[in-house]
Amino acid sequence: MADKRTMTLNLTDQEMSLLDELSARKDVSKTALLRQALRLYQMVETRLSRGEKLFFEDDEKKKAELMVV
Amino acid sequence: MKFNSDPNWLKKQAALEDNCFVSVGGLVSSVEELEQRTQQATASRTAFVNLLDLTRRKHKLTWEQLSQKLDVDLAELIEIGNDETYKPTPRTVTQIAHFLNVPAEKLFILSGLVRVHDRYFQEAALRFAARSQPVRELSSEEQEALKEYVKFLCER
Amino acid sequence: MKARIQIVDNATGQAVEAEIFDEVTVEHFIETQQEWRPIVLKAARQLAARGSHQLIPQHFHWDWTTKAPELKVLANAFYGIRCNNQLQGLMKVETVGPFCTCRLPEQAGKSLVYVDYVEVAPWNLKVLAAALGEKPRYNIIGTRLIEAAVLKSKEEECKGRIGLHSLPMTDSFYINACRMTPVGRDPAKQNLLWLEYTPEQAENFLTGAK
Repeated sequence: MADKRTMTLNLTDQEMSLLDELSARKDVSKTALLRQALRLYQMVETRLSRGEKLFFEDDEKKKAELMVV
Repeated sequence: MKFNSDPNWLKKQAALEDNCFVSVGGLVSSVEELEQRTQQATASRTAFVNLLDLTRRKHKLTWEQLSQKLDVDLAELIEIGNDETYKPTPRTVTQIAHFLNVPAEKLFILSGLVRVHDRYFQEAALRFAARSQPVRELSSEEQEALKEYVKFLCER
Repeated sequence: MKARIQIVDNATGQAVEAEIFDEVTVEHFIETQQEWRPIVLKAARQLAARGSHQLIPQHFHWDWTTKAPELKVLANAFYGIRCNNQLQGLMKVETVGPFCTCRLPEQAGKSLVYVDYVEVAPWNLKVLAAALGEKPRYNIIGTRLIEAAVLKSKEEECKGRIGLHSLPMTDSFYINACRMTPVGRDPAKQNLLWLEYTPEQAENFLTGAK
């Protein structure tokens, strides 16, 4: 595996709570979850840069475009 | 990663996998999607040939002189120019990329060696193919188009 | 990552040395188009000519070069197996994405590694080799790639959990040879069969335990 570097991350109470909840739900550590989030962000950005669009679709098959900052 | 090297495991898995068809991925795409990919490939290929030709003319080289400079077969350059179904070798495309000073991966796409669904890339290739006229000395507009397109390839 | 592994040479039935690696490049994709694809298409045509339509490989149209932009995406990992200076198999997995979530009730919602694409070189597949009047060369390429996916899952703290959509012709490999659990058909992916490993099943696969 590639060498790793360490950083300190400041989160609000709400964000930390969310991180705890998501890592428990996904059954991975908080670090692993944040790494997943970063990779997901890059995956979305890469596809957007190629001209693709990201949508959510509801039960009635109505599409709403997701704006990514 | 530590892979299993137990001979008994190997033997057991070999018996299990024997006769099996192994693959994972999507089913046959629609005929329309395959046709659309062919159209995109044609526009990219035209852009690739024109890019090479305009650069050759900019440097005032014959095709033979260009093949020597690139250290590739003249016959292959002629095939690239005349047969749009011809797939150049990866080495030739890499040599051309070095000469043009553009990323090799971008030329792999333009030459048809690699197929990519990138709307902006395809549109830029189509615009360049449409704007470039390879039968006379480069006009100032062609010079400008060539300069802009090389800049685009290097920046993306 | 590069590791020495053993695969089976079908001519002798003996184990031979091969290499599995994760530094897959666009040149490897071009190699599959130039070396594999013509053979797959030739075999597909032979099968069609004989009326054996049910045996025509469902991946005959694949083009790995379309995956080239995905090499730089950190969510993805690619693995190749090389033996005798030839590419024998290729795989793409995702560590995040729309399919990276477990569906088996006992682990629903938990993270898994999704096996997106697996292809074994056509000369290693009995059906394709036979269509061209040949015998398949190497065995357990598929097994080794699934093994790599499970090991990647462990590296990602997903405890060996993997998931995939099987093509109809390949169901028996994943159910019988890999002993994955079939969960159900997925309308979001061409109604293909979704299969999954629990951590226990993944460990049993790695060690050969029943």
